Amino acid sequence: MRKRIAAEAVELTRAKDCPGEITTVVLDSTQVILQVHESVGHPLELDRVLKMEEAYAGTSFVGLEDRGRLRYGSGLVTIVADATMPGGLGTFGYDDEGVPARRVVLVQDGIFQEFLSSRETAPVLGEGARSTGAMRASGWENLPLIRMTNINLEPVDGTLEEIIADTGDGIHMTTNSSWSIDDRRVNFQFGCEVARRIKDGRLTELYKNPNYTGITTEFWRSCDAVGGRDEWQLWGTPNCGKGQPGQVARVGHAAPPARFRNVQVGVR
Amino acid sequence: MPGLVGPDEVRRVAEAALDLPGADGVEVLFLHQWGGLTRFAKSSIHQSTWREDTGIRVRVVSQGRLAVAASNDFTKDGARSAATSALEMARVAAPDPLFPGLAPRADVPERHGYDQARASTTPETRSQGVAAVVGQLRAGFHAAGAFETIAAEVALVNTEGQFCYSPYTHATLSALVAGGEGGAGVAEAHAATVDAVDPEDVGRQAFRKAYDSQHPRDLEPGRYEVVLEPMAVGTLVAFLAYVGFGGRAIVEGRSPFSGKEGQVVCAESVSIYDDALSPDTLGIPFDFEGMPKRRVDLIDRGVFVQGVHDRRSAKQAETESTGHALPPPNPDGAFPLNLFLGTGEASLEDMIGATTRGLLVTRFHYSNIVHPIETTITGMTRDGTWLIEDGRIVHPVKNLRFTQSILEALSNVELIGRESALASEFFLAASRVPAVKISGFTFSGKSDH
Repeated sequence: MRKRIAAEAVELTRAKDCPGEITTVVLDSTQVILQVHESVGHPLELDRVLKMEEAYAGTSFVGLEDRGRLRYGSGLVTIVADATMPGGLGTFGYDDEGVPARRVVLVQDGIFQEFLSSRETAPVLGEGARSTGAMRASGWENLPLIRMTNINLEPVDGTLEEIIADTGDGIHMTTNSSWSIDDRRVNFQFGCEVARRIKDGRLTELYKNPNYTGITTEFWRSCDAVGGRDEWQLWGTPNCGKGQPGQVARVGHAAPPARFRNVQVGVR
Repeated sequence: MPGLVGPDEVRRVAEAALDLPGADGVEVLFLHQWGGLTRFAKSSIHQSTWREDTGIRVRVVSQGRLAVAASNDFTKDGARSAATSALEMARVAAPDPLFPGLAPRADVPERHGYDQARASTTPETRSQGVAAVVGQLRAGFHAAGAFETIAAEVALVNTEGQFCYSPYTHATLSALVAGGEGGAGVAEAHAATVDAVDPEDVGRQAFRKAYDSQHPRDLEPGRYEVVLEPMAVGTLVAFLAYVGFGGRAIVEGRSPFSGKEGQVVCAESVSIYDDALSPDTLGIPFDFEGMPKRRVDLIDRGVFVQGVHDRRSAKQAETESTGHALPPPNPDGAFPLNLFLGTGEASLEDMIGATTRGLLVTRFHYSNIVHPIETTITGMTRDGTWLIEDGRIVHPVKNLRFTQSILEALSNVELIGRESALASEFFLAASRVPAVKISGFTFSGKSDH
């Protein structure tokens, strides 16, 4: 890995900027987790949906009536919140309201199922609805807020190499460098450290300053490949901001690489 | 209610850490803050917090090696223990050849930013402020935001004989109003005293924007003239500071201003400076390693003058510290916390009237860096954006994504407002900036609301 990173660094000094085009994008798991974090985790926080964080962080395009109905992504997209998985930055025994850690399916086969919730907010979802155990404060001096736990894109099948070989033409991006998304989590634009052109199923020219932009549900519905268990990797996001004044939380994400069609890249 | 610890007690406790066998130098940074936070949403208070925190950060130097230990134990034993811990860590740290030594004894300017009478603002006062905001709304609209009142004291003591102490108070009220048919507006106020915050005015402004921004229409992204209100200008100035004005980034060639001293970088009408001593901002008269503050001209009439330095980057650049150190440990170096963009002579109406086809933007949301050397950032408009045609506001528009070089935008400034307001993009920092009119600004995408 050290040799690859060093070689990429040298190559980046001579690389062209990622050109602007609409193409197929293959994201490695480090960037997929950022995509999950910003465009799935945050919009499914129930306090945002209920406008409790409207002034600063914003609200959500997802409504209470969307449970079990909204097609969030393609049939390959299953996303879970799992505060019980070993080793995650969002792993704990009990949340800050004393609710035991749980595993909750948020999106099943592309259909939105459940919000991240607290004891205070869960009852709006109907009689018997209970907290998903996501209420956490960043320290003794702050009130707990609904925060992500470990929000994971479940693995499907195949390796990154196989996805690229199956892609034909496109762009492969890796390692997040920049993130921006609107206050209802609809329009996003994310940047990566490095990209390579995929040509005839092979990685070719390297580009610097790659980015891509899209609309959350259009993007997830265009997902037509999700890597398998062998490439499913757990990462951490140690700097998740929310609240006013801001609270910083550590959250976890696991994901394999994934492929998305008809994506605008190279926005300058 | 808590009160000030005061300079004498700070000195008494901190000096217990200074006489540390084996250390070549010791610095104690003291931070004591208390205050209340009243958050509201859907026109009701939903979170109310009172907190007080007293902390010290002890930086120890031993044979050119440095380490920092933090503690909330503000006693002589606590200070001594933190210093001992820092020394233990310093002994296993690599030497820093650029460490210039601790701040020497120097006079620090006077600055009065503490309001004794208002240091104990009550929850009732803040809730009355929230009620005043909500009182400005018509049926069908709701308000969300935060009203925070803070009192604090900061002090620095070191083995070079430097001692500085400054108490201050801050009050911040921000309010978003939303409702009607897709309307949203925002207003905020920052002041040294809570009396200087007018909740009715904040509520009135936010409601007016929300009311006027109903029924927003789709607008295709593209290149538009823009009139940016102070909150939006504050985002540009804060990100320019983040990517560019730090002395360490400049000397290491990582800043868009590296090697640009004396060169034209934007329009001649644009001047940006940092001045913590100005009564028009919320600053303290020394930095977090005890260097006195002073005004620093960063861009003077379009020409880049210099960045800001702490003692370490000043040594790197073979110059003097400008008094912009952040609390240790701080690997990023100096940062200007009290920026100003110089005012012009235009009114907001003048700027709108001078726009052929463009956008009036209240503020940006969730901005981030796309290309630091090109000073390109991206973000969304939010809480009130309107199309202007032939000098008149025509209708509100749905939110747009911008992807734009800040320096290119500042090179195309045509008019600058004669009034300014404090806008806070980053924690700890606030910029006093006017509205500006820019002849070309790139919007690269759009949202659905």
